[in-house]
Amino acid sequence: MKNLYKTLSVVVAALALAAPLQSSAADINLLNVSYDPTRELYQDYNAAFAKYWKAKSGDNVTVKASHGGSGKQGRAVIDGLEADVVTLALAYDIDAIYDRAKLIPKDWQKRLPNNSSPYTSTIVFLVRKGNPKHIKDWDDVVKPGVSVITPNPKTSGGARWNYLAAWAYSLKQTNNDEAKAKEFVAKLYKNVPVLDSGARGATTTFVERGIGDVLLAWENEAFLALKETPGKFEIVVPTLSVLAEPPVTIVDKVVDKHKTRAVATAYLEYLYSEEGQEIAAKNFYRPTLESVAKKYEPQFPKVNLVKIDDPAFGGWAKAQKTHFADGGVFDQIYAK
Amino acid sequence: MQYKRKIIASLLIGSGIISAPLVASANDSTELEELRALVQELDQKVRVLARQNEVNAEDAAAAKATTPIVNASQNGFGLKSADGQHEIKLRGAIQTDARFFPGGDGVASGNTNAGKVTAADTALLKQFRPILQGTLWGKYDFLLTPDFGNSKVVVQDAYVDAKFNPWFQVKAGKQKTPFGIERLQGDADGKFTERALPNDLVPNRDIGVQFHGQVADSRLEYALGYFNGVIDGGSSDSYTNVDTDNNRDKDFVARVFATPFKNDPGFLQGLGFGFGATYGDQRGSAVTSTTAATASQSNLPGFKSGLGQQTFFTYRTTAVATTVAAGGLAGNGSTYADGQRYRWSPQFNYYNGPFGLLGEYVRVSQDVSRQTATGVTRSDKLNNDSWQIVASWLLTGEDASYTNPNPKQPFDLDKGTGWGAWELVARYSELSVDDKAFNPFGAATNPTLKAQAQARSYADPRSAARKASAWATGINWYLNRNLKIALDYERTSFDGGWTDTAGTAYLDRPTENAVTTRLQIGF
Repeated sequence: MKNLYKTLSVVVAALALAAPLQSSAADINLLNVSYDPTRELYQDYNAAFAKYWKAKSGDNVTVKASHGGSGKQGRAVIDGLEADVVTLALAYDIDAIYDRAKLIPKDWQKRLPNNSSPYTSTIVFLVRKGNPKHIKDWDDVVKPGVSVITPNPKTSGGARWNYLAAWAYSLKQTNNDEAKAKEFVAKLYKNVPVLDSGARGATTTFVERGIGDVLLAWENEAFLALKETPGKFEIVVPTLSVLAEPPVTIVDKVVDKHKTRAVATAYLEYLYSEEGQEIAAKNFYRPTLESVAKKYEPQFPKVNLVKIDDPAFGGWAKAQKTHFADGGVFDQIYAK
Repeated sequence: MQYKRKIIASLLIGSGIISAPLVASANDSTELEELRALVQELDQKVRVLARQNEVNAEDAAAAKATTPIVNASQNGFGLKSADGQHEIKLRGAIQTDARFFPGGDGVASGNTNAGKVTAADTALLKQFRPILQGTLWGKYDFLLTPDFGNSKVVVQDAYVDAKFNPWFQVKAGKQKTPFGIERLQGDADGKFTERALPNDLVPNRDIGVQFHGQVADSRLEYALGYFNGVIDGGSSDSYTNVDTDNNRDKDFVARVFATPFKNDPGFLQGLGFGFGATYGDQRGSAVTSTTAATASQSNLPGFKSGLGQQTFFTYRTTAVATTVAAGGLAGNGSTYADGQRYRWSPQFNYYNGPFGLLGEYVRVSQDVSRQTATGVTRSDKLNNDSWQIVASWLLTGEDASYTNPNPKQPFDLDKGTGWGAWELVARYSELSVDDKAFNPFGAATNPTLKAQAQARSYADPRSAARKASAWATGINWYLNRNLKIALDYERTSFDGGWTDTAGTAYLDRPTENAVTTRLQIGF
C-alpha cells in the first residue's frame, strides 16, 4: 500500500509539473521584411528555424515573409510596416531605417558577425542557351543591339549592385576615369528596355517573358534559373564583379512592442549556424561560416570582387548620394 | 551533239538564264533570315511592351497604397490618405437673406405708436462660413467654423470629437449644446430662414465637453455634457468677454433621442423622439442706474420674433425712475439671474416619404432677483415656455429628412432638364413668459400706487410682451444638392408689450408681418 501511494504521488507530481510546461507553449509570429529574390531561401530557412526553436523552447514560431525591392521594403518599414526583422540587400537601406525612423540603433551592423551579413553574393550574367550574343564581359553588355535586363536602382538593391559592378569595371579599364564610367553606364542603361522594381521581377522578365539577351542577376537568382529551367540558360561570370553583402537586423522598436526580441534575435543568429549556412549555400548564397564555405566552394565560380568600401565607391553613404539619390548619376544618364 | 549542248549551255549561262535559280535561292535565304530577324525583333518589342504594362500596373498598384486621394465634388474639397485614416476637408456655407416688413409691420424699438421705430427692410449676409473639418488616425474628428456673416468674425464651432467607438465618443471645444432639436439641426438644413420661437429659450453654442454615442444598434443616442452655460437663445460669443465664461457657474446637459423603428420598414420607421435637459446655477448682477445691464451682467435673455428677428421681450435692464410720481422707488435696480436655471424639452420628428414633421416644447425655470428698493430684494422662480410644430412636404417626391433633400432631378439651366426639389413648409409656434415676471400688475386704481406696484415687476408689461404666437408658411427650392432658394412669410401676434403715450395703458404690441428670402450655397 505504501508503495502504491508512493508511486501515485510520483505520477501526480510528474503530471503536475508537466501540465504547466505543456500549457505554456506560446505561438509567436514574426514578420521578416526581405528583398526580392530571397523567397526560396527564407521558405527553407523559416521551416528549419521553426523546428529548431520548437525543440529548444517548446514555442511555435511562424515567420511571415514579405519580399520586394530592397529600397522599397526599407521605405515600407520606415512608413510603419511592423517588421520584427529586416533582411535587405544592402546596408544603406537598413541605415535609412535608423536615419529616418530611429527604429534601430545607429550601430546596428555591429551586433552580428561579418557586419551583420550572414551570407554574401555577387553579380553575374545570365544569358540564353548558346549565348547567341557572345557575351563574355561588361564590354559586351554595353554594345548596341544587346538587350540588357536589370531592375531599377531607385527601388532595387540588386540593381544598385549591378550598376556599381559596371561602374567599377569601367573605372578599372579606364584608369579611374569617372567621366568614361558615366558614359559606360549610360550605354548600359540605353540597352535596358524594361526596368522592373526588383530583382525577382527582372528574372521574370528575362526567364518567363523571354525579353532581353542578358540578365544582370544576383548569383543565386542565376543559379535558381538554371535549376528551374534546365537547358535554357547559361551563366557567364564577368572578369570583375562586386561583393554583395546583404545584411540583417532586428527592428528594435517593433520587437520591443511585440515582445519578440528574444526569438527575433535567435532567428537571425541561427542564420550563422551550420544549418543556417547550409540552407544559404543550397540556395546559392555564399556562406560565411568557413567550414560550410569550404564544402560548397566548387559550387561558386571564382570572381574578382570589389567591395563597397573600395575607393571606387567610398562606402554606401557616398555611393548612394553620388549615384542613386535624386539628381545623382543614375538620374543624369537615364531618361524615362 | 555533246559539243552543241556545251555551246548552248555556255550561251545560256552567259545570258544569265541558267544562273537565275541559284541567285534566287540565295536571295530567298537572305530574305528569310532578314524576315526571321525582323520577326524576332518585333516579337521582342511586343514582349517588352506587354512587360512594361505589367510593371506599370504593379507600380500603380503599389503607388495606390500610399497615394493620397484628392476629392473635389459637390460635398466639398478634400485630401485623404491612401489608408483612409487621415482626412481634411474644406467646405463652405453662404447665406444671403433679405427681410421685409410689408406695410412697415415690424417694430425695431419703442413701445408706443408715437415712439416706435419701424424695422428696416434689409438685405443681409447672414452667414459666410469657410468650414475646415477632418479626421486624424481614423478616430479624431475636428471641426473649425469661422463665420464672417453680418460683418462680424465669430468662431461658431471649434472642437475635437474623439470617436473611440460608436457608443463612447468625447467632444470638447465650442459646439452646439446637445439640447434643442431644431437648434441641433444644421444651420443650412432648417425649413425656414430663421428658427422658431422656442429657439429663444434653447442654448446655442457653448464651450465645454460632452460624452456622447449611439447604442442599441444606433437606435438610441445619448449626450452628457458639462459646459460654461449660456443664456437662453445665446452663444458663448454673446458675452462681453467673447467665448469666456462670465462666472464660475457651469451647466450640466443631458439628452437622449430614440429612433426605435429605424431599422423596421413601416409607418413608424421615420419616428424619432427624445428629451433634453440642462441644469445650472447661473447668477448675474444688477445695475442700479439707467445704464442698461448687458446680458453678461444680468445673465438673462431677451426674446426675438422668428423671421422678423425683432426683440419683443426683455427683463428690466435698468433701474426704474426713482420718483414716486413716476412709480419708482429709490435704490431699485435691474433684474438678474440669481440661482438655478433648469431647462427641459421633450421633442420629436417624423418623416414618411415626402412628409416631414418636427415638434418641440421647451420650458425654462429660472431663479431671478431684483432689488426693488434700498435694502429690498424680491426673488422668484420664473417659468417661461415655448413650443412649435413644423410640417414640410416635398412636392417633387424626394424623401423628407432632418437634413436637406437631395433633388432627384437637379435643376440644370444649360440642359433645360430637371426641376430640382420643391418643398412646402408651415409652422406654428408660441412663447409665453411667466405671468410672475410682470407681477404685481398694479391692480390698484390709484395711478401712483398702481405705477409703484408695477415698477416692482421683473419685466415691464408695457414694453415686454408676455406672449408671442406665430404662424408661418414658406416654399423652398433646392436646385441641387448645394443650392437652395427660400421664400417665407410669418405673422406674429403679441399679448402685451405696448402702451400709450402717457404710459398708463396696457396694450398689445402690433402684429408683425415678415417676409424673408434666402439664397444659400453649401458644400
